Amino acid sequence: MKIHYYPGCTLKQKTTALDVSTREAMKQLDVELVEPEGWSCCGAEYPLTEEKIVGLAAPIRVLRQVQEEGGDVLVTTCSFCFAVLKRADKAIKDDPLKHKRINAYLRDDIKINPLTKERKTDFEEYKGEVRVLHLLEFLRDRVGYPRIRERLKRDLKSLPVAPYYGCRMLRPQKEMAVDNPDSPHLFEEYLEAVGCAAVDYPFKQECCGSYISVSLPAAATEASYRVLRSARMNGAKAVAVTCPLCFYNLDHRQDAIKEAFLDFQGIPIVFFTQLLAWALGVDKALLGLGEHSVPADGLFSEKSSPEVRP
Amino acid sequence: MRVKLKSGRDQRKFIQRIEELSGENVFACYQCGRCSAGCPMASEMDLLPNQIIRLVQMGLDDDVLRSKTLFLCASCFTCESRCPKGIDIARVMEAVRHILDPKGKDAFGPGEIPPELAQELPQQVLVSLFRKFSK
Repeated sequence: MKIHYYPGCTLKQKTTALDVSTREAMKQLDVELVEPEGWSCCGAEYPLTEEKIVGLAAPIRVLRQVQEEGGDVLVTTCSFCFAVLKRADKAIKDDPLKHKRINAYLRDDIKINPLTKERKTDFEEYKGEVRVLHLLEFLRDRVGYPRIRERLKRDLKSLPVAPYYGCRMLRPQKEMAVDNPDSPHLFEEYLEAVGCAAVDYPFKQECCGSYISVSLPAAATEASYRVLRSARMNGAKAVAVTCPLCFYNLDHRQDAIKEAFLDFQGIPIVFFTQLLAWALGVDKALLGLGEHSVPADGLFSEKSSPEVRP
Repeated sequence: MRVKLKSGRDQRKFIQRIEELSGENVFACYQCGRCSAGCPMASEMDLLPNQIIRLVQMGLDDDVLRSKTLFLCASCFTCESRCPKGIDIARVMEAVRHILDPKGKDAFGPGEIPPELAQELPQQVLVSLFRKFSK
């Protein structure tokens, strides 16, 4: 199976663990990932006011490129990219005026091939036919859990993992339409399929503090503390995330959390794809574990998750 | 909380502008407070999300525009998912930020990030932060 895959800015730079583990896992599932040629940043934030319409141009440009390459599905792993691409796509589908305006912006687009210096100016307009899927949705609907279970090479022995949805994947529900925003199950089902035991806890869809962690670190420290404490209290040995920013707040902030809250005990944070890649038999060195500030090596050991003999 | 009521053209214009920018009907709000109850940043705010909506309903632009709350909203949409009247409060917050003096200072600019921190921050956080809080 060949599909278009949009990594987004952070996955190519600061959080390569998510990109690398996604690629390795997909290789094991015979899914070929193709990046849309010349993709750019999606803008990270979906413009929430009617007048900031130009913020839709970047995500629609990416989708138009997928259309040009003949793709009908675009898969992302980062929740921010997922939200921006999906909402932008829906916005121009629902509103003919936005559709017209954005395509008018993009008509004057110029693309220069970095190797041949060839200029391309003549673009077809984006018709709104590319489906934006989160990798979790893709694994459930297009790959299927039975196929994942068939190919598992390691037994994770029901490792208790707390799924953390964060803010962007589920809300606003009428636009994202992924799962119930107050009682989601998508991530839990995925973890069970991989061989973990999903931990149910009340903070799985609470905010980690998002970009407030830069402008007011103390507030994000407290928000992250609430999430992690809740996960630990419910018996989790690790928290699984899908978003590089959630990862930053929950993982890199743990030193600050320890300083602010004396009862806090650390907990490793992992990407959902690292668990999948490991369970599918990918080598530990290819999981990008070096980027974790709270060591997660212990979760990925031969002892705790032995190979299953067929 | 004590406020001084005003009624005039400026007030009506403010309300109209917020509704136009956000696409939300702020008068649907009946002050149940579920947005504030679920808000992860509520403890840091000087005005709670439902109070912002109430002040917008009354057209009290000065009180709303100088609130710290505008720059504490992380657009996590928890309020949106819980509002029984379907108001997307994050959109109202964005509309208010949009109205703030366009020639004014950044609420949070690149200069405020220490260089050693900038090294370790993911790109995503910088892009989203400046999109929200800078001019």
